[in-house]
Amino acid sequence: MSAPLFKFGLFGDEVSLLVAFAIGIGFGFALERAGFGSAKKLTGQFYLTDMTVFKVMFTAIVTAGLGAFYLGWLGVLDLSLVYMTPTYLAPQIVGGLLLGIGFVVGGYCPGTSVVAMATGRIDGLVVVLGLFAGMFVFGEIFPAIEGFYHSTAFGAQSLPGVLHLPYGVVLFAVVLMAIGGFAGAEWVERWSARRTAEEAS
Amino acid sequence: MSRFIPKTLKGKLALTAVALGFLALFGNPYRGETVTVATQDLAWNLQQADRLSAPELADRLISGRTDHRILDLRRAEAYAEYHVPGAESAPVGELADYPLYRNETVVLYGEDAVGTAQAWLLLQARGFHGAVLLDGGLDAWKQQVLFPALPEGSAPDVIARAKAVAEHFGGQARVGGEAVGDAPMEMPKVEAPAAVAPAARKLKRKEGC
Repeated sequence: MSAPLFKFGLFGDEVSLLVAFAIGIGFGFALERAGFGSAKKLTGQFYLTDMTVFKVMFTAIVTAGLGAFYLGWLGVLDLSLVYMTPTYLAPQIVGGLLLGIGFVVGGYCPGTSVVAMATGRIDGLVVVLGLFAGMFVFGEIFPAIEGFYHSTAFGAQSLPGVLHLPYGVVLFAVVLMAIGGFAGAEWVERWSARRTAEEAS
Repeated sequence: MSRFIPKTLKGKLALTAVALGFLALFGNPYRGETVTVATQDLAWNLQQADRLSAPELADRLISGRTDHRILDLRRAEAYAEYHVPGAESAPVGELADYPLYRNETVVLYGEDAVGTAQAWLLLQARGFHGAVLLDGGLDAWKQQVLFPALPEGSAPDVIARAKAVAEHFGGQARVGGEAVGDAPMEMPKVEAPAAVAPAARKLKRKEGC
């Protein structure tokens, strides 16, 4: 038996919802423990005073990358069955910018806004309401933007495929990049703390 | 020796990640080509009727979806003569070495229904659970998309849509008994795989919602 379990039909839609619920609870807990229930912590990223978001995200990438690689190597996970989101270059750039603007203005990204709401923060609730309003508007104008939505399609792309490098080499490079990123992030945090202290004195 | 081990927890984690990443240089996470047929899996797939109808495929192509691949299993000459837009030539004999991912939707059509079904079974057995049959093969593509024969008195929007779809792929829709005999159903000439034509987008939009 090997994963992904759902794709192999080892359990159906109902059980998959229960699994999703359990994973969602775990995800929310991890986000809250990382301090992501607070907009101040999250927006600190954009003012370079707090690089936690960067560090948590890169940790997640490295953990998932190493985990998927070794589970595949050991034969526990059939990597060729794992879903990869197809690339639609232009709409994804525009969508990313929209999300970024919303992130700076609202102080939360979609997942963290739910975490903030669950811990009783009013601003989190407002962002969640905005989220649903956005979904509604998107659904209503979808026929008008459908052409753009499906444009510049490149199919499912992966770094090893694009760079023509073995999977392991790309993974090692990503790990090294993350370690370098962590060191850089901590240096930025110390630099911005020093600057704040100088301004205060 | 111990002085090379970082004191802090994050340092230890970083060292572990680097070590695992380095070891990954010598591994390959994808499984080899050894095939084990899970009969239960296969039976499950049979129940699910892995088929895609010709009009469904036409819809996918018109809306510019790329989350599928179309394989033409016929001989290369037949492929050169005509093939469904965007299809790749993969003669049955070469299918074993044809580069595919197991998570891709692969639409198959070929010389005849039995041969295509066998190719489908081979792919399924090798774990390509995304393999689906073009229902009715190229004949269905011809009869339902390129040269659909609509009964007299079909709703105008149905006729307009069938005509636009047929035209998009270089065919022609017929209404009632008209011109069945005299207009030969010549397969359109294929040039480079037709990309998503802007006209098709407009057609999509006109449908409204």
